[in-house]
Amino acid sequence: MDLLDFARGPAINVAMAVMVFGVLWRLFAILFLGKAPDRTVPRMGTPGPLGAALREIARRMVPHPTFAFAERFSFFNGWVFHVGLAVVVFGFRPHVLFIKNLTGLSWPTLPSGVVYVVGAITLVSLAAALVRRLTNPVQRFISGLDDYFSWVVTILPVITGLVAVGHVGARYETLLAIHILSIAVLLIWLPFGKLFHAFLVFVSRGTTGAFLARRGV
Amino acid sequence: MADQKTLGERLAEHGVSRRAFVKYASWLGSLMALPPATSRAMAAELAKAKRQSVIWLSFQECTGCTEAITRSKGPTLEDLIFDFISLDYHHTLQAVSGEAIEEARHAAMKENKGKYVVIVDGSVPMKDGGIYSTTAGHSNYDTLMETVKDAFAVISVGTCAAFGGIPKANPNPTGAVSIGDLVKDKPVINIPGCPPIPEAMTGTVAYLLSFGKVPELDHLGRPKAFFGENIHDRCYRRPFYERGQFARGFDDEGARNGWCLYEVGCKGPTTYNACATMKWNGGVSFPIQSGHGCLGCSEPDFWDKGGFYVPLSASIGPTAKLVGGAALAGAVAGVAAAAVARHRKSSLNKG
Amino acid sequence: MNADLCHTGPAASLADAVFAELAHALSRLAATGEEMVVDLRSLPFGPTDLAALSERLGTGEVTCTLEVAGRSEVRETGFAGIWWVRHLGDGDEVAGEEVHVTRIPEILSSHPDDVAFAARRIADAVTASPQEGPTAADEEDISRG
Repeated sequence: MDLLDFARGPAINVAMAVMVFGVLWRLFAILFLGKAPDRTVPRMGTPGPLGAALREIARRMVPHPTFAFAERFSFFNGWVFHVGLAVVVFGFRPHVLFIKNLTGLSWPTLPSGVVYVVGAITLVSLAAALVRRLTNPVQRFISGLDDYFSWVVTILPVITGLVAVGHVGARYETLLAIHILSIAVLLIWLPFGKLFHAFLVFVSRGTTGAFLARRGV
Repeated sequence: MADQKTLGERLAEHGVSRRAFVKYASWLGSLMALPPATSRAMAAELAKAKRQSVIWLSFQECTGCTEAITRSKGPTLEDLIFDFISLDYHHTLQAVSGEAIEEARHAAMKENKGKYVVIVDGSVPMKDGGIYSTTAGHSNYDTLMETVKDAFAVISVGTCAAFGGIPKANPNPTGAVSIGDLVKDKPVINIPGCPPIPEAMTGTVAYLLSFGKVPELDHLGRPKAFFGENIHDRCYRRPFYERGQFARGFDDEGARNGWCLYEVGCKGPTTYNACATMKWNGGVSFPIQSGHGCLGCSEPDFWDKGGFYVPLSASIGPTAKLVGGAALAGAVAGVAAAAVARHRKSSLNKG
Repeated sequence: MNADLCHTGPAASLADAVFAELAHALSRLAATGEEMVVDLRSLPFGPTDLAALSERLGTGEVTCTLEVAGRSEVRETGFAGIWWVRHLGDGDEVAGEEVHVTRIPEILSSHPDDVAFAARRIADAVTASPQEGPTAADEEDISRG
């Protein structure tokens, strides 16, 4: 078994199993926790919980006007790399073939050249995010090991993917294996660190929205 | 049997001038991307060389490699190699049989001690004392070790000899191993492929003959001149890959338009061979040009890479089962954790 | 030969690049006698590139056909000292295509060893009685030729 066989086989399979286990474990543990019955009377004229949740999710897509200027970089850069990652993951044919092989699901994809460009933009954007984290005193103060580690495991697949398609530094099979291994690390970390926001972001924003709406906030 | 005349003298006797060497060397030099000065030196050295004694051993194989090397057709350029070598032992091509053929091998070994080249096609079975493949009452292992003892170099022709190939494929019932696994004290050149490109076989022999040394090899013992480049990098369908145009099957619009075969499992990106540049049958075509993805036949264990039609980016092995099991376990663990938390909360509330 | 020739964009410019390279080589041949060979097969040339280069080089006074391990064609181009050499293999497939910058391509001149061998043969022919037929070697020669 060579490195690529290991990456395509045991490594990615175990990583996916860990990811799925971790995600469902954490999600179910949160979703079935239940909450204490709220005995207060909802404020008059407020939307129902579902509407309030959706409204809050939409509202938080852009910063509050008060902070719009101060947060312009985080807002813009955040969107760039999130959309960039989505385009690279779901718009590149070989990535979709990975999903198709597992689930049978497939969709039209972008020309590889476009994905390379988006990948490069994403890389720059992620690098900028780190610079911001290190240079902004407040952000630096509230950043912990989880933040930095999550950043590393996110940027590694982007770097290794670009290096693989560019055939830089080693033979393609080695670069591809390293790329797949970097994704394995990302998948394993996904449920256990701050990257879990991928699954919780809308749940938490929606819950907050419903809770606050009831109180008329 | 090898004699003392030079190849130049031999060909001259047949009315062929030294020009044949110039032509042969320029052809081969072009295939191997040798600098023109090296090609010229090769022509001169070939003319001065003695006919090379070659002993060809066939073990666990299908004779496809012999078929390939003898299919370079009419008495022309590509065939000159058969004037350059003295094939002193070859089961399939030899007219004699029985004791006489074994005597021929021993005679060639004695006469050309230290100078003959051993070409092997097929892997060697090691399980159960090697009884799964024998010739003249000897196991392949014994024949191999006896023959290579006084050889100048060994050429493993075909993926079976080079890497174990199909006999070694899971579950490897005969315990097949490659020649390189057994021969450690002689140079072993691997010319893998199923079969290898004929020019890669003859070119390597001609190089040995001209320069008396092993050509530059890659980390798998393959001559870089023939195995230095990736099929995907030199594939004429590469622009379709870059444009994201893929055949989804073997008879869809993409297949008919000649689009990239990545999605139907082409192993071109991880395969090193000269198919995309040299092609087959005198440059007629190669598998991808004929509409089928590359199987990766010049790479070790190509039979066990998860399937010829599974895309390279897809996972291999029991992914679905594993992930399904993990999902179930994760769900159970999550619900259990929630239940425990609720229970604790309610007992706290009750005080 | 120039490695960066291999990656210069579209068809026409590649033929132009080789043409320019040949111009340099020819002036070197004129000045110093330095020879050069361009292996056209090692360049990503399509049929149109070959035709374009061939047309720019033109046709000179010499065209030869060789019968040696299959057919070969050698012709002088419109520029003295630039020769187009084409080796054909089995079934007249092109096995090699080169442009030589030289006073005469090596494959055209008789090799000293061949000359020596021929000298012995012709001497034998002189001493042999004229009634005798051709020698064994000559017969082979005829059957191959």
